[in-house]
Formats: sequence, C-alpha cells, structure tokens
Amino acid sequence: MSTTAHPGARTTGFRALAVGAWASVAVSLYFIFFVAREADASMGGQLQRIFYLHVPSAWIAYIAFATVFIASVAYLRTGARKWDLVAHSAAELGVVFSSLVLITGPIWARPVWGTWWQWDARLTSALVMWLTYAGYLLLRGLADDGSQIARSAAIVGIAGFINVPFVHFSVQWFRTLHPSGPAVGDAAGGSTLGGTELLAFFSALIAFTLLFAWLLAVRVRLGVLADEVGRLELEGDLADGPRPARPVPATT
Amino acid sequence: MSAVPAPGARGWAGKTLLLARKDLVIEVRGRDTLPPMLVFSLAVTLLLAFTLPDTSRPSARVVLPVGTASVADVLAGFLWVTVLFAGLVGFARSFEVERHEGAIDALLLVPLDRSGLYLAKAMTNLAFIVAVELFLFPVFAVLFPIGLGAGVVAVVVLVDVGFVAIGTLFAALAAQTRSRELMLPVLAFPVLVPVFIAAVELTSDLFLGRPTGVVVGAGWFGILVAFDLIYAVVGALAFEYVIE
Repeated sequence: MSTTAHPGARTTGFRALAVGAWASVAVSLYFIFFVAREADASMGGQLQRIFYLHVPSAWIAYIAFATVFIASVAYLRTGARKWDLVAHSAAELGVVFSSLVLITGPIWARPVWGTWWQWDARLTSALVMWLTYAGYLLLRGLADDGSQIARSAAIVGIAGFINVPFVHFSVQWFRTLHPSGPAVGDAAGGSTLGGTELLAFFSALIAFTLLFAWLLAVRVRLGVLADEVGRLELEGDLADGPRPARPVPATT
Repeated sequence: MSAVPAPGARGWAGKTLLLARKDLVIEVRGRDTLPPMLVFSLAVTLLLAFTLPDTSRPSARVVLPVGTASVADVLAGFLWVTVLFAGLVGFARSFEVERHEGAIDALLLVPLDRSGLYLAKAMTNLAFIVAVELFLFPVFAVLFPIGLGAGVVAVVVLVDVGFVAIGTLFAALAAQTRSRELMLPVLAFPVLVPVFIAAVELTSDLFLGRPTGVVVGAGWFGILVAFDLIYAVVGALAFEYVIE
C-alpha cells in the first residue's frame, strides 16, 4: 500500500459528487415547493407534493436492490472485497430509502384514501422488499465469527432480487388501489400534470439519484477505512508481539 | 445396512441418496426432528382454531367479518401458515446434526459436488414436510369444514418443492448466525410470499369444492412451477458458496 494514495482518500470525483448531489437537492426542493402547481384535490392537493419524495425514494430503493444483486454476483465471481462492500452499502441504502417509501406513502394515503395502509400489490411488494433486505442486514449483523457471511449474504442478495418479479406478479393478482402512473405524471399515465410538476418530479429524481450515488460512495469509503483500521490494528498487534500494555492515546 | 457399497463406488446420484439416507437413519434412530414438528403443527392448529368464529353456525360458513374472505380462504391460509411454521422449525435443524463433533468437516470430505449435498439435505427436508402434511391435512379435514380433493396433491407437491428449495438453502445460511432459529423465518418468509399466496389461492377453492378458474389456476400453477425451477437451480448453484 503506497503512502500517497490512501485507500479512503477523497478524490476530486467524490467531492464533485457531493457538491452536485446537494446542489441538485436544493434546486429540486425549490421546484417542488415554489414552482410545481398544486395538484387536484383528488390527489390530495398540497399533500401530493410528498410524492416528489415518495416516488424517487421508491426508484432509488429499486436501484439500490439491483446494485446489491449485481455486486453480489460480482462478489461471488471474483471474491473481491470491494464488491461485498458495495453490496452491503447498497443494501443499507435500499432499506433506508424503502423505509422512506413506506413512511411517506401512508402519510399521504391517510387523508386521501382514508386509510394508512392497504394490502395492495405495490404496497405489499414494497413491504416484502423491505423485509427481504432487512433480513439481509440482520444476517450480516448476526454472523458467527469466522463464518463465510459475505458469501452467504451475497446469496440472499441474489435470491431476494430474483424474487422481485414473483412477488410482483403474485401480489398483482390481489386488488390494486395504488395510482399506477403515480401522481407525478408518467407519460403513459394520462395524467393531468403539467410542465411544472414534471420539472419538480424529474429534478427530484435526479437529486435522489445523485444523492444515492454520493451516499453509496461515502458508505463504501467508510467500509474501506474500517478495513484499513482493522488491518493496521492487526499489523500493530503482530509487530508488538505478545501485547505489552499498549499506551492508550490521549485523544480518541 | 449390510449391503451398502463403498461410497467411492457410487455416482453423483448414489452418493446424494446415501447422504439423504444417512440423515433419515439419524432421524429414525434419534427422532429429534419429526415428532416435535408434528406436535408443533398440532399446537399451532389449536391456537389458530381459537381465532375462528363458530363454524357450526351456517352464517359463519359463508362470510367472515374480515373483508370478503370466506372461511375456506382463511382455513387455507391457516393450513399453509402451519405448514410453513412447522417446516421452518424443522429445516432449521437440518444443519444442526452436522455441528456435533465436527460432522460438517466429514460431510465436506465426501467426494461429491456441493449440489449433491444440497439435494440430499433438500430430500430429507422434503421427507419431513411431506410427513407433516400427511398428518396435518387429515387433521384439518376432521377439525374444520374443508374437503380434500385429488387436486390438492398437485398443489402440495409444487408448494413443497419451492418451500424446500428455499428452506434448505436459507437454513444453511441461517446456520452461520448466532440466532439460527430466528434468522431462518426472517430470511425465508419474504421470499416464500409468492409460494404462499399461490398455495392459499389454489387450495381455498379446492377446499370448498369450488372449481378454480382455468385462467386463474393456470396462472398460479405457472408461478409455482417457475418458482420451483428457478429456486431449485439457484439453491443447487449457490450451495457451494454457502458451505465452506
């Protein structure tokens, strides 16, 4: 390991991503609250604005879980630690963003549908996804020492993602209440939403995507640094021999 | 047990069968998985029975005060919940037997592809779950107003294959954690959702003696068959990464 290129060093691209992500979040917030027209009362009026958070969160959750799948396959093929880190990091982010989906949805649904929750296809599959990846994180967290948990987690990451279409089709056969071209006007949805709402929606989508990329980079970097700390500790222990009482550093 | 040829003389299928047989012999001698599974399933059935309204009243047989579900819909759900619970309790033990005295090391020395190990464990688990169902379905038919037709067998076979494919793979995964018995259902239930829905949808019609719509029935059977095939392959392929 060279001394100049530290494994956790913040590169220029990393910094640019951070700036871009937060700038686009600011722009998107402006569009959402000051540009986008208020929606019809049937969609909740002002409440509909929560969808600029809700739908991009769902989008990012799926991106994150797809990332877990791809990184898990790559890890099993190559055995490279970085892929395991990417899968683990993406799973954490996926659970965070799908939690946001599961929290923001009911906040809107309660006044508009008159109920917090419906066992509708989209809601049910979102919950199944959340449980799948919560299980993935629990598996990693509760691993026995020295087990091959990275490989096992990769299996869960793969099996859980393959399951998505099955869950989708099977719960689809239940009644579906969820607005299908969500209240943000996808082109085919025949939605009444105009340009300002689309602007807000797509700016939010871009902001969330950049934010996800940045958070993933931050989380992977954290993992790299944690590995490095572990390696240095091990190295130090070996060099010190049978552990003389190591002086505790004054600063922690 | 006298005419068992040396393991090295057997092919892939022969070794796989021998391993499955080994687990079944252990079970026959120790009886520490199947009897608890059977009693457990009966205990779950008992508890679920307390959640039902009085089925002797004619009105209760038609509509329950939970949305549009009929008693048969709920009973099919009860039955499959019981099967899933009992199955996972049993599957969680399938790698327990290998933990004693380093048996897992000996198992890994068997000159057999990992997919064979997976299939052997899956066959043992399949034997357990079929035994539970052979016990539980008649018990349900006696205790609750459901009819068992021949069509139920086809559903049960397809459900069992998918259930065992997932259950065996995830049991091996869960065995690597500190909370094995808890982790298996946590991992397996979300993935088993499609199998469970298909099982309930198909059997609730059969229990009522109601013909399942051809299109609807074919759709659910299609989901089950695809699920079984994909997860049997995933399990067999993934097993070499799980067992090390």
